[in-house]
Amino acid sequence: MVEPLCALAQSDNLEDPFLDLRETSSSSVSTNSPLPLATTDLFGENFTFKRELLAQTSLYGTAQSSSPHLNEGNRWYTKESIGGEVQKKFSTTTRTVGALDIQGRFVRRDNFFAVTNDSEGMDREGWFFEYHNLYLDLYDIANPLLSEDLKGSATGHFNLRVGRYYLPFGLNLQSDTHGTLLQLSNERNFGYERDWYAGLFGSVNRSVNYDLYYMLGSGYEPSPRFGGGMIGSRLSLSNSVKNDIGLEGGVSALQGKRRSSPMLYESEYDLIDTKRVGADLRYNHLFLDGTLTESTELSQGSDDGTSVLTQLYQVDYLHRSRAWGSAAQYRSFAGERVATHGRGNSDTSIIGELTWFIRNDIESTNLHWIKLGIERQLEQMVGSRGTITTLQYYRYW
Amino acid sequence: MKFIFIALLTLSLWIPRTLVAAVGCTLSSPAEDLKYLYPEMTSFKEQLFNFETLKEGKLLFEKAKERIGSDLDPVYETFETPYTLYQVFSGEKLLGLVHGVNVPGQGGVIQVFLSLDPTTGAIQNFFFQRLQSPVASELKKKEFRDQFKGVTLGDFYAHDFYKSKSKPDPKDSLAKIHSPSTSETGTKDFEASVRGIRKNLVLIDQFFFGNKFEPFYLRAQQSLKQAK
Repeated sequence: MVEPLCALAQSDNLEDPFLDLRETSSSSVSTNSPLPLATTDLFGENFTFKRELLAQTSLYGTAQSSSPHLNEGNRWYTKESIGGEVQKKFSTTTRTVGALDIQGRFVRRDNFFAVTNDSEGMDREGWFFEYHNLYLDLYDIANPLLSEDLKGSATGHFNLRVGRYYLPFGLNLQSDTHGTLLQLSNERNFGYERDWYAGLFGSVNRSVNYDLYYMLGSGYEPSPRFGGGMIGSRLSLSNSVKNDIGLEGGVSALQGKRRSSPMLYESEYDLIDTKRVGADLRYNHLFLDGTLTESTELSQGSDDGTSVLTQLYQVDYLHRSRAWGSAAQYRSFAGERVATHGRGNSDTSIIGELTWFIRNDIESTNLHWIKLGIERQLEQMVGSRGTITTLQYYRYW
Repeated sequence: MKFIFIALLTLSLWIPRTLVAAVGCTLSSPAEDLKYLYPEMTSFKEQLFNFETLKEGKLLFEKAKERIGSDLDPVYETFETPYTLYQVFSGEKLLGLVHGVNVPGQGGVIQVFLSLDPTTGAIQNFFFQRLQSPVASELKKKEFRDQFKGVTLGDFYAHDFYKSKSKPDPKDSLAKIHSPSTSETGTKDFEASVRGIRKNLVLIDQFFFGNKFEPFYLRAQQSLKQAK
């Protein structure tokens, strides 16, 4: 022990070993030369490719003896899918000008019945190719009209999105629902959670964002000639607020004609005059040895003039290790039009979920989990109440 | 239309593993955040980096680990973790670099962002984008964060040598910076934050500067050996 201490004491008297390096390091590097590790080819620069695997099985058990929509007794549903997502950003020497996102899956379904994370599969028994995200973003589209001085202050305010993506209603736009069992309200509220649209998005200021889109109202298929069309708008708190105080939220409004959905007990190929206003909040904070997230989505409006009221409340807990989590959700969708002909006044469920994360990257870029979910249907407008137990394997990498 | 999707997906499933990348550690509201940091900004450019896709990525990753000076967390700091470097411009002039990293803290994630002078590599601003910590308010204070202004990666490497000396060295700019919290959790999150700054600087040195500060690392290692 003595020897090293003596050596260290001697070294105290040495000259500063970094003196010459400080002098040379103050010389600047060329800021115009290409980045040393960057590539410029199409599949190299700002290119992202993700793979996705999913397998789940659900057991439906009826609480009552019969159902007009389901066979009596217990029923198994299975779903497997393999897919991918491509993201590519496009840049000039001084500006990132756009981004492309394409996501699709080959899906296999057997003995389908509607579960919270798969309500569109009614007509897709067996193998089916599904597209999910398909959109192009163009950033700062007003730039060609602006002077150099104004370009800086306008950055981030006027971006164009064209394609298929989440409806600008509720928390969906700012939520990563890749493969999750628990879903937000839109799929049950409108019959689908994504639509084809074109419109503007961006920041109002550092704390508030906006979205304003014209949508075809057609859901899965891009059918501009079917006669529908909706306007959707949303004002939301930015991610800066989320990071500062853990709060997200917004107000949304949507109006127009959308294609009917069997999910909402509507007849096929009908046009539904749709109006909705909604408010949502999500709060994330430290709790015990992890984080707790409380979410709510509320909306009110009408379908063909009859009132609709939706409520969703959710609590998520994620352990600090990010190795396991649990969640609970209460969801209720009340539609006057169906309720007058059906059994109950609403579709209401309570769902519990447990997750074991094999991988759970902080940025959701690498996910691998096994989930167990149990949904207890408390009230059904059509059909009998049941319990759905789902086991899911998911990998995104 | 369906044919195009199927063709694209099939093609993409055959894309070699070396092209796999992901978007990560991005600014929450890039345009607004960068305008706040650089009010004279007219445009910005994003550049994604991922060790998985870089030539000799494994070697670079190992080198980064050595220069960070501690083991990497298997959840927050994996080989596959992607990074986004923002270059901020005023016209054609590069004003600054902004880059963020995640490090594990006592309450969860600590996301450390730095803005750097692109010519000298010195810190212009240091801020937390996400900070899940019981002492978040103390670590976020401007007076604490401002102490890192002007610090370079060279200072971190030199600190490795200075701290081995029996007396504090006045040239050791990092020795003067202390935890704003005296609690055990606060001290640990302070240390995690400083480690995050160092990790961030190491990565920017690789991604942008082409290892400009490598001579400091080699000199520090050499001097430590000589001192022993």
